[in-house]
Amino acid sequence: MAKTPAQRNSHALKRRETVVAYLFMLPALFFFVAFVILPMITGVVTSLFNYTMKNPVAAENFIGLKNYIDLFQDKTFLRAMLNTLILVVVTVPAVTLFSLWVSSAIYQMREGVRSFFRCVFYLPVVTGTVAVVVVWKWMFDGYSGILNYVLSSLGLIGKNVMWLGDTRFAIWCIILIMFTTYVGQPIVLYVAALGNVDQSLVEAAQVDGATDLQVFWKIKWPQVMPTTLYIVVITTINTFQCFSLIQLLTSGGPEGTTNTVMYYLYTNAFQLYKYGYANSMGVVLAIIIAILSAIQFKVMSKDVSY
Amino acid sequence: MKKKKITPYKVISLIILCVVAFTFVFPFYWIITGAFKSQSVAIALPPQWFPTEPTMANFEKLFKNPAWQWMLNTVLMALGSMLLVCGTAALCGYALAKKRFYGQSIVFGLIICAMALPKQVVLVPLVRMMASLRLRWLYLLLGVIAAAVIAVIVVTAIKNSYNWLTAEARRDWKVKDYLFHLLAVAVAVVAVVYLVKLPGLLSGTPEKTPMTDTLWAVILPTVGWPFGVFLMKQFSETIPNEILEAARIDGAGEVNTFITVVCPIIKPGFGALAIFTFINTWNDYFLQLIMLQSRANLTISLGIATLQAEFATNYGLMMAGAALGAVPIVAIFLIFQKFFTQGITMGAVKG
Amino acid sequence: MKTIRKVLALVLALCIVLSLAACTGGKDPDPTKTPDASNPPANPTEEGNEPADEVELLWWAPPTFIQDADDPAGTYEQKLVDEFNASHPGITVRVETIDFTTASDKITTAIESGTAADILFDAPGRIIEYGKNGKLVDLGDMFTDEFKKDVGNDDLLTSCQGNGTYYMYPISASPFYMAINEKMWTDSGAMEFVNLEGNRAWTTEDFEKAIEKLTAAGYNPGVLFCGGQGGDQGTRAFIANLYDGSVADGKEYTFNSEAMIQGLTKAQEWIDKGWLGNGVQYNGGQSIELFVAGTTAYEFCWGTSAAGNNAATMEANGVTPISLPFPSADGKPVLEYLVNGFCVFDNGDDAKAEAAKTFIKWLCDNKENVTRTGAFPVLQSMGNLYPGDAEKELLVEFTKMYGPYYNTMDGFANMRAQWFDMLQKITGGGDVTELANAAVEASNAGMAG
Repeated sequence: MAKTPAQRNSHALKRRETVVAYLFMLPALFFFVAFVILPMITGVVTSLFNYTMKNPVAAENFIGLKNYIDLFQDKTFLRAMLNTLILVVVTVPAVTLFSLWVSSAIYQMREGVRSFFRCVFYLPVVTGTVAVVVVWKWMFDGYSGILNYVLSSLGLIGKNVMWLGDTRFAIWCIILIMFTTYVGQPIVLYVAALGNVDQSLVEAAQVDGATDLQVFWKIKWPQVMPTTLYIVVITTINTFQCFSLIQLLTSGGPEGTTNTVMYYLYTNAFQLYKYGYANSMGVVLAIIIAILSAIQFKVMSKDVSY
Repeated sequence: MKKKKITPYKVISLIILCVVAFTFVFPFYWIITGAFKSQSVAIALPPQWFPTEPTMANFEKLFKNPAWQWMLNTVLMALGSMLLVCGTAALCGYALAKKRFYGQSIVFGLIICAMALPKQVVLVPLVRMMASLRLRWLYLLLGVIAAAVIAVIVVTAIKNSYNWLTAEARRDWKVKDYLFHLLAVAVAVVAVVYLVKLPGLLSGTPEKTPMTDTLWAVILPTVGWPFGVFLMKQFSETIPNEILEAARIDGAGEVNTFITVVCPIIKPGFGALAIFTFINTWNDYFLQLIMLQSRANLTISLGIATLQAEFATNYGLMMAGAALGAVPIVAIFLIFQKFFTQGITMGAVKG
Repeated sequence: MKTIRKVLALVLALCIVLSLAACTGGKDPDPTKTPDASNPPANPTEEGNEPADEVELLWWAPPTFIQDADDPAGTYEQKLVDEFNASHPGITVRVETIDFTTASDKITTAIESGTAADILFDAPGRIIEYGKNGKLVDLGDMFTDEFKKDVGNDDLLTSCQGNGTYYMYPISASPFYMAINEKMWTDSGAMEFVNLEGNRAWTTEDFEKAIEKLTAAGYNPGVLFCGGQGGDQGTRAFIANLYDGSVADGKEYTFNSEAMIQGLTKAQEWIDKGWLGNGVQYNGGQSIELFVAGTTAYEFCWGTSAAGNNAATMEANGVTPISLPFPSADGKPVLEYLVNGFCVFDNGDDAKAEAAKTFIKWLCDNKENVTRTGAFPVLQSMGNLYPGDAEKELLVEFTKMYGPYYNTMDGFANMRAQWFDMLQKITGGGDVTELANAAVEASNAGMAG
């Protein structure tokens, strides 16, 4: 301990740190490897087989990359991928910006008000997707829905609109509902992160005459960057893997306009029993998400200044 | 307290907030009131905005089933996952963020890839694994894990009360802190002991019992799912290196540094992670559906699903279940609120 | 700092000891207690000496049996199992209630991971699919000549087979039909087109006039639902009967035949006019919800269980349903039907399979159990189980309209998906012939895989 950092052999230091780091990570890595990595490897390997309910994973059913080749000729899959990308492109920025705005608006409010708003935005998460979606579905219902009821009593629509059954509206309804169930966690995180921002820096800047906006971009934004990164990556993953919303609301319809990769994967595995094909979809999805995450890390890590 | 100016921007944003908040509150309101409506009222047209004839029938019907047992199972499952995730993820996330070690990028890359892979892909291998694992092995494993988890919590508690004895820490100490730690220890011990015993108590032969159909089959994969590690890594990124360096120069060991320096700074992360894990576990319907079978081992959401008849969804019953399920989560949320609002600011630590 | 570490080490050690004690505490009682509780010292080793005929079975039961009054799901099943276990030493059956919506996810995962139950109570659609994939025990020896003669209906027997092997042991059957809202039809004057005599068969022409009147009177039409999964048989039977087409001919799917295309075109025309509801956002269950809430005037997904499970709701909402066969061009409707039955999963244990067969037979040969399904017995020797019930007597007339059973054809699951997808596109205004041809082609291609 007596040596200064400059005197240390950097390799010896790293070796020592490696031991310590792995000891720290041991409990988490144990569960990770046992209950995620091992099944994951099995899952990925089975995507190379013509694995169905009839055909087990066995040498004679090995088909190499055929599932993957079929995938890119499957029009339904490509359509589902397009829908998924639309969801991601709209939802991720919307969720991130909205939650950042809400958090920065509420985190300086009085404790009571702040708790109130944070609770409110977290309610859809707390109540559970299934129950919340049931209510939303009722609101959007073509015959008995409150939305049509309100719009027609205002004279805005002549006849009932089948919101979830109309190719023009269905995906936007999904995005709206997805939005309400996704912003809860980012708001909680942003409020926590903003509360952790170094107040002495903020005060120093204010003394120097910086405007609120300048304080935000120069001081708070860089400090909440790790949180932003987490939120962007997690929201991207969640949106890509969006499944229960689709299942409960539209089952991919109308005419496949709300079919997502995850829902298509699910129907292949659980209704058509094509496990190998479904797994290959999962792998493709994972690769796309991983590449996107890597880009997000690259772009957003540049701004972090420590 | 510094004075706050009321600007037009603030007024406008407050108005927008209130309007948007309404959209978020309405489904919740509808669920709570729906719990007190009979089936015909729940789907009636035009909608009944407030139950004029509130009925307890839904709850009565719910409690004809072992609903308390389902609640207890759900709470135990969520608490178990929460404790395990918080403990393991904080340690791992800190190491990933602040240590420079061989294989760092590989470990982190794997974590991101694992999160990117849909759970459905790992489902069948996971069930197969759970079915082949025997509780006997789990007990052995749990001996170690339980020890580690309890140790971390107890050590923190003891340390805090030990600090109280030393003069310089005395001024920071508050009665409720001490009580809270004591409570945490008690909950941890009870939860771990109960969970370990539960499967054995329910079936006569725990050694032969496969792990499927026990709460562990849901808890263990949840703990393995690395989103908590990722979250804690991001929170640990904000720890200034100088503080860690200072602690090292003071001669603090690794564990000591973690408990006394790192934990207080990432406290808001703990709060958030605890709630996220609790709620994710609570809502992870699919995993519960696949793993749990016996009526006595079901969770509340799963139990309610078994009460629905074919071609007839009982909305009142469904809402009652959702309302019942939401209560503990709101409670947990309110309890842990103080965690993520009271993060020790870096200025204070530096000073 | 040194003292801190000493204290820490001590506490840590203490904790490990404590928690290990806690863990072994959970484990301890069993080796000591089980021998005490069960048969005394006779079997010292764990498995080897257990009596060979002691079989434990797991039964997955979706809520098919009607429960007494307010009993929770699974009460009647538990009663049955207790009764069976008491009368059959050597076999212990355990029942687990599962729900319809998520059952297939659970079953599929269980089959693939080797954790399936032994007995499943379900309908042919899924069961035969499992059987064809080699996951079920051949129940051929239960279908004795005597049994087959008692059933006396080849179509019904075919519904229990996959590729010529019996996989499902039937207990009861009931038709799928449609229902109309009495008040709405009377008020609008549409009732005059309805035949309430005899078997209530009516024509497409009458139906068209009726729905025109309903729409003119401002009532919401029933929906041609085609979202999600389930209930699809109702829409298929409706379309097929309009111009007496058929969905399949026993070898392949034929819903692009002239009659079927005529029916689909008619449906598209009605949807455009607003005489028939756009059902893209509804599945069968949700369509039923609209009907029992008094929102829509008629319903294509109707049957004994839908009527039974929604009776209280309909009463509260003032909805009186009238059961009707589907309208057809020639006034001779052909109906689809549901068969309730049991299958046995092949868990590689002959003793279990035999025990499961004993249980199934014991259960199905009981008249009360048949009436608990709300359907009609498959065995003619059971006679009329619902004497004096006018509605059931009408349904008996419907049972005479049963058509060939095609739900066990290869690629059925794939065809269902294609069917709904096609209906969605037709509802959206697509070209009927083109869509039907494409869907049939895809369905027939799916038969191979």
